[in-house]
Amino acid sequence: MQALALLLALNFNAAPDFDQEIKPFLIRSCVSCHNAESKRGAYRLDSARALIKGGNSGPAIVSGKSSQSLIIQAVTGNENIEQMPPKGQKLSKNEIELLKKWIDSGAPLPASEMALVEGNKKTSHWSFLPVTNATAPIVSDKSWCKNPIDNFILNRLDKEKMSPSAMADKPTLIRRVTLDLIGLLPTPLEVENFINDNSSGAYEKLVNRLLDSPHYGERWGRLWLDQARYADSNGYSIDGPRLIWRYRDWVINALNTDMPFDRFSKLQLAGDLVSGSNFEDKIATGFHRNTPVNQEGGIDKEQFRVESVVDRVNTTGSVWLGLTVGCCQCHDHKFDALSQREYYQFFAFFNTVDEPSIELASQQEIKKRDSLKASLKKLEAAQKQIDPLTPAKIASLELKIQSRELLPPSINEILAIAINGRTPRQERQIDSYFRQMDRIQHLVGVVVAANPIEAALQGFIYEKREKLELMITKAKETMPEIESSLVVQEMAKPRATNIHLGGEFTRKGAVVEAGVPLVLPAMKLANNVKPNRVDFSNWLFDPSNPLTSRVAVNRFWQVFFGVGIVETENDFGTQGTLPTHPELLDWLASEFINQGWSMKSMHRLMVNSSTYMQGSRTRPEYDKIDARNRLLYKQNRIRLDAEIVRDVGLCASGLLYNRVGGPSVFPPQPEGVYSFTQVPKNWKSNIGLNRYRRGMYTYFWRSAPHPNLVVFDAPDAVSSCTKRNRSNTPLQALTLLNDESQVEFARDLANHLVAVSASDTERINRAFLVCLARLPKPTEVEVIKKLLNQNTVSKTETSTWFQVARAMLNLDEFITRE
Amino acid sequence: MNNDNLLLSSTRRHFFKNCTLGLGGIALAELLNGKSNALTIGGLHHKPKAKNVIFLFMAGGPSQLDLFDEKPELTRWHAKPIPQEFIKGKRFAFMDTFSKETPKLLASPRKFKKYGQSGAVISDLFPHLGSVADDITIVRSVATNVFNHAPAKVFMNTGSAQFGRPSIGSWVTYGIGSESSSLPGFVVLQSGPRGPRGGSACWSSGFLPTSFQGVPLRGAGEPILNLSSPKGINNEEQRNVLDAVRDLNSVRLLDTGDPEIASRIASYEMAHRMQSSAPELIDLSREDQRTLNLYGPAVSKPSFARNCLLARRLVERGTRFVQLYHTDWDHHGGGDANLETGIEKVCNEVDQPASALIADLKQRGLLEDTLVVWGGEFGRTPMSELRETTGRNHHIDAFTMWLAGGGIKAGGHFGKTDDFGFSPIEDRVHVHDLHATMLHLLGIDHLKLVFKFQGRNFRLTDVHGEIVPKLLA
Repeated sequence: MQALALLLALNFNAAPDFDQEIKPFLIRSCVSCHNAESKRGAYRLDSARALIKGGNSGPAIVSGKSSQSLIIQAVTGNENIEQMPPKGQKLSKNEIELLKKWIDSGAPLPASEMALVEGNKKTSHWSFLPVTNATAPIVSDKSWCKNPIDNFILNRLDKEKMSPSAMADKPTLIRRVTLDLIGLLPTPLEVENFINDNSSGAYEKLVNRLLDSPHYGERWGRLWLDQARYADSNGYSIDGPRLIWRYRDWVINALNTDMPFDRFSKLQLAGDLVSGSNFEDKIATGFHRNTPVNQEGGIDKEQFRVESVVDRVNTTGSVWLGLTVGCCQCHDHKFDALSQREYYQFFAFFNTVDEPSIELASQQEIKKRDSLKASLKKLEAAQKQIDPLTPAKIASLELKIQSRELLPPSINEILAIAINGRTPRQERQIDSYFRQMDRIQHLVGVVVAANPIEAALQGFIYEKREKLELMITKAKETMPEIESSLVVQEMAKPRATNIHLGGEFTRKGAVVEAGVPLVLPAMKLANNVKPNRVDFSNWLFDPSNPLTSRVAVNRFWQVFFGVGIVETENDFGTQGTLPTHPELLDWLASEFINQGWSMKSMHRLMVNSSTYMQGSRTRPEYDKIDARNRLLYKQNRIRLDAEIVRDVGLCASGLLYNRVGGPSVFPPQPEGVYSFTQVPKNWKSNIGLNRYRRGMYTYFWRSAPHPNLVVFDAPDAVSSCTKRNRSNTPLQALTLLNDESQVEFARDLANHLVAVSASDTERINRAFLVCLARLPKPTEVEVIKKLLNQNTVSKTETSTWFQVARAMLNLDEFITRE
Repeated sequence: MNNDNLLLSSTRRHFFKNCTLGLGGIALAELLNGKSNALTIGGLHHKPKAKNVIFLFMAGGPSQLDLFDEKPELTRWHAKPIPQEFIKGKRFAFMDTFSKETPKLLASPRKFKKYGQSGAVISDLFPHLGSVADDITIVRSVATNVFNHAPAKVFMNTGSAQFGRPSIGSWVTYGIGSESSSLPGFVVLQSGPRGPRGGSACWSSGFLPTSFQGVPLRGAGEPILNLSSPKGINNEEQRNVLDAVRDLNSVRLLDTGDPEIASRIASYEMAHRMQSSAPELIDLSREDQRTLNLYGPAVSKPSFARNCLLARRLVERGTRFVQLYHTDWDHHGGGDANLETGIEKVCNEVDQPASALIADLKQRGLLEDTLVVWGGEFGRTPMSELRETTGRNHHIDAFTMWLAGGGIKAGGHFGKTDDFGFSPIEDRVHVHDLHATMLHLLGIDHLKLVFKFQGRNFRLTDVHGEIVPKLLA
């Protein structure tokens, strides 16, 4: 059937496709006047139906007869009719020919309009229909099925006369599921325990342990942060720092406590409006504060405010509904049953918010802090009169320090942190240290002064200075440190929302009220209630909403199998791909609701399936039938995410500092990263434990993210990312071969190998066990031994094993989940 | 390595087989394998006129009225308020200061002269450029959409003011790959006092695979991040590790049958070639003195001049798209950023090297298939600003760029603006049209080079862009 359709489409004489060939030039030349909002001559040209129907001048076409059709006369112009469009670009000869040909072929409606029934926005498109109650189908081999997922997969393979792959071996399984659930490598001990555990529930036990790990929230939190476009800076060209890591930690926490997905979502969309909203709920609204902010001079602020609302609408559409509502910003959706008006109704939900930063403390605490601040300010003003050290001077002193060895270690440690990475307490320590040094100099000056009057005067000033310093230090010490986070807050007086004609915010059309697309189930509201973001979230999670649950389970699936059941994970509309296993998708979607939207339950279900546990070896016999493995006759090999590429290096080297949460950190990065940014960033690599935190905690400057993240396809945090690219480039090779962090990892791994045993064979085994959770094959041992023998130039044992460690950390298998 | 051919065919088969990356995937395979075939040389949609592009990006917005677009009427109207009909309903950058009172027109203090047979008009700020006047075409009617630096730069590069779209260099290398086997296909060089606003978004691959992202070549230190082997590791030791990695990866390739491993092996080989080819690229010791003199004295240190020479060396070595950024063209009037000393300084830095690049490409026979583009993200207003020194505000309706080589009709002017240089009155060339024309010269139909993202087919030219036939040779 499909082949036939394709043949027909290629037919030289076939009618032009309205959506592909005609609509684009109508949008360019006609639609700005003839649209839903401004129906010049009561005529719309934004769909084939409307075009055919005509306007004030009567029907616009005579089907099959272009020469008699009004629209052709209009675009060519004659003595009776002014040529259209009156202003702007006319249609080219070619375009008029296309239009004629379409009319002469009977003006066929495009597929996108076939599904619509005029006047009643309903569609037969699969994803807009209710989730069906699917039951696990019958299969050829019941014993293979661990849970209903397997029935659906095997049933489909049965139909194609295909068979699933054998289960992966235990080393592969533990490495795979550990990477998928917590994003870290299993330790050799964990591998050993798992291999030796012959009890029937050994694997399920392993899965439960991983789901209970605090690192589960990190792994799955990072995936959510992709969608939330989380970063530590404002973006655009100035790209100043921002404080919003508390939101990142909120996400990690919510996942670790298995907060149900409906609540998880509602708090992020409307945490400021839920009843009894507390600090944590408000922090959650940071989701929509992750929009970039332009701090450039001379900008039109309204323009960028509108852009951030547009981003919120598009992100919400893509994250929860899997819809590309963004197209409707400028015009009615070309393919899906969404109008521009509906877009701005959606827009209205997010157009009435303020964007403050809240302090995470009680009113009382804040008041107390404010009054302390006020008295401190007075003290500092007094100090300023007699104390020559201003904060700017202190900063410049810091740069002038010649020899760090003379400074106390506690101060040195802080100086090693970039200025913008220090905590307020650390800043104070530095400040008081420099002041103390200066006062000592002052005192020495008093003592050695030759002139007694001068000495007395300086002595007096010195004493006053000391006193003030003491009071200031005390005031600062008692000052409570109050953290803050960027949040969304409903405006006291909501602003009205207009349609932006052509997507331009300066061209205001009709006023619209908040609402949801007609093609989806209506909101359940009490009479005369203007819906807000809480109502919107409730609507998302109404069991009748056909999209939310399907979209979410499909994204989980994508993580465990590389590709979703619906491959276009952010387009469930008519232009997206169809699900390969529609019943399975619906079964999972219902199951998610039945499990009370528990994400952990769904993840457990997926990794406990035989489908997931298959081996990933290619099967040439299926190359012709299903080369891309869409039917899942095997597992897929997946290159690890950028942050996890770092994490596995940290694991293998034993350097990982596994603290969960907290401010972002500064691991080493090569010189010269900021030679291309407008405003140079201060990046001083951490020393101490924070140098070895997981990749997800690396400070993320939008204008110049850490190069190791960029090179392995971490999203740019400019807009929501629902699926990462997985490229394979020479720059990745250079990073793994030569980067400072990688060298450190290799060095520590080498030390470990040398310490663990005196025998080469045992060391090689250990290297494979640590890095790949398996033992080497004889051919692999030979390759390593060759490398060992080549390295006679190197003097020490460690430097020889350093080479081996480097080779291990560069293997494709090392950065791949098999 | 005698497995090269096996590897090559296996990698290529992988990309053809999966084909999810489309033509770009094939280009990628070529890139990784360091080989090019008829597909990349032959162009994507039709026979190309240009093989390479060198884009000299003048970051900040050069003042076309003081460089190329001579306006005697401005002198007559100097210091008089601009007639309302010009600015009614217009939006400008720095709206609040600019609209305090009706802005006054500003005459250019520069002297203009005609050059070459084509009679190209160029101001005294660019004395060298006159020597190649018959090889370049000055387009005085360029228009753009956005008037703030960062979004406007991103617009000039990606066809959208929104961050996150692929840049033209990424589109081109995605579409037709690169001919270099040992250097990246899309390279970015930078000079001037700071990085361009917009930063890496200007050469981002957006939603295209990151392999098509512009690779910044650094002026000082290592030309590419992590290019050098770790301290204490010599070339032989590095090769030993690479050999072990290749052998172990090959074992795994046999075990799993996953062609992605073949790609990985290929990209490690390319990385190793880059370790020697990139230092060779920046080593100018084998350039003859005459050539070095042509680019001027600044060529001996990190500078625009040096970058121009590197651009020539890059296209010689097969790099497809080279982009140079030179910053500090933002002459509002205020401190050094003025149209007196400020513009003289930056013109002095750019004039000789840019002219030298054209002459050097020409004498080596490279100009005919290298398209050279010169210009900024926008131009500057005919009106002055109320600031302490002389300057002009950002202007998007009309500004000047010049093009050369690669199938461009050489010599003279193209497009015309009104008496104040406010708007084009003839042959307006919008940024989308420029993009369409650049792609056309490279053998790419801008309507057909698409990538599906978030449910929509995206193009460099969005839903706009017309080729400008009059610009073609």
